[in-house]
Amino acid sequence: MNFRFVVNPEVCTGCRTCELACAFAHPHDSKPGKSRIYPIDGGFKELWVPVTCLQCDDAACVKSCLVDALKRNPVTGAIELNREMCVMCMACVAACPFGCALLDPGQDAVVKCDLCGGDPVCAHFCPTKALSYVPIKKKDRIAG
Amino acid sequence: MIKLTINGKLVQADEGDMLLTVIRREGIDVPSQCHHQAVEPSGACRLCMVEITRQEWDGWSKFVTSCLYPVEDGLIVTTHSAKVIQLRKTIIDLYLARHPNSTEIMRLASEYGITRTTYETVVDGDDCIMCGLCTRICAHMGFSAISTVGRGHDKEIAPPLKEAPTDCTGCLSCANNCPTNFIEFTRDSNSLTIWGRTFETLACSQCGKATITREFAEHLSKTRDIPIAYFEVCDDCHRKETAKTMGRVVNWTREVQA
Ligand code: SF4
Ligand code: SF4
Ligand code: FES
Repeated sequence: MNFRFVVNPEVCTGCRTCELACAFAHPHDSKPGKSRIYPIDGGFKELWVPVTCLQCDDAACVKSCLVDALKRNPVTGAIELNREMCVMCMACVAACPFGCALLDPGQDAVVKCDLCGGDPVCAHFCPTKALSYVPIKKKDRIAG
Repeated sequence: MIKLTINGKLVQADEGDMLLTVIRREGIDVPSQCHHQAVEPSGACRLCMVEITRQEWDGWSKFVTSCLYPVEDGLIVTTHSAKVIQLRKTIIDLYLARHPNSTEIMRLASEYGITRTTYETVVDGDDCIMCGLCTRICAHMGFSAISTVGRGHDKEIAPPLKEAPTDCTGCLSCANNCPTNFIEFTRDSNSLTIWGRTFETLACSQCGKATITREFAEHLSKTRDIPIAYFEVCDDCHRKETAKTMGRVVNWTREVQA
């Protein structure tokens, strides 16, 4: 894990470009999929918070999955959902305390942020750099 | 690393991979009803049959259920030879006779150009093809609430003694993965009924939306060490809460900097 996904709500304008980028980056049947990132009203004037998966260390979604369909990708650090393994029990959707495991009704599947396999598309498109994917400084790196 | 040939193409696979998995990975469409990656294969539906041979078999070949057959070095696999298609058609034909009202079987039949069965149709045949995927998934999740009961023609999937199953959590994984959509359940605003048992669904404390049953949430909380409070707010409201919490922090730094 050499990169970290950084969210900086201070500069988010709530333009929802990330939401659109995510939906287009995760298509199914050549239609856009469900976005896994949502800029939401932060409760103060001109304050938006892009809410997406934090790839928690001790993740509730991973713990809740009784069939081990959710596993961390050791390269990207993202917790990835294996659709072939998923039995659609909704445990992870119900368990995530940030609401970032989602049901995509369009394709009848559970989805979550996968950091686009190591190059999050939303970060590329965010016009104010409220989202970025930055290298982790050596000294901050967790062993390995 | 194992090297084998599928439809004339040399492919690589890992030791222990099942043929069907590798075939699918190659983007080849072989039908299957009883297969799911989450559970061990069982070879019940016979639809995933393919033809295999080897150089040294001198033209001799055989049919195997690909979901149950581990890859081997030098294997030559054909998924759509005339003989395999004929065999698959016969199997589908039999399914169509036994389950004449199943839309999934009808879909499969039409895919193989079968419009009517050549066998005698079973009157009031139901849609359960007895593949046992539901029982395998339920057992794998640790519940084993349902199993095959009865014998011969009376065989069916049911909870023990055909009573409302005590081990069921109402997770719906059986119904959600039944290939023929045979397992029925009903849902209303605050409850869900499956296998003759009614469960309370856990409503979001903010908006009332329910995702899973209280029984399932409590089971996960207990066995997986997840605070029950996590389950008491739905995903939509959790995202809103997250934004509000982070919003307060951001606003505070704003004020400090101002
Ligand atoms: S919905 Fe799928 S990924 Fe989520 S806990 Fe259930 S089986 Fe695992
Ligand atoms: S709903 Fe009940 S019977 Fe079906 S898989 Fe879940 S626990 Fe098993
Ligand atoms: S998928 Fe192989 S026998 Fe059913």
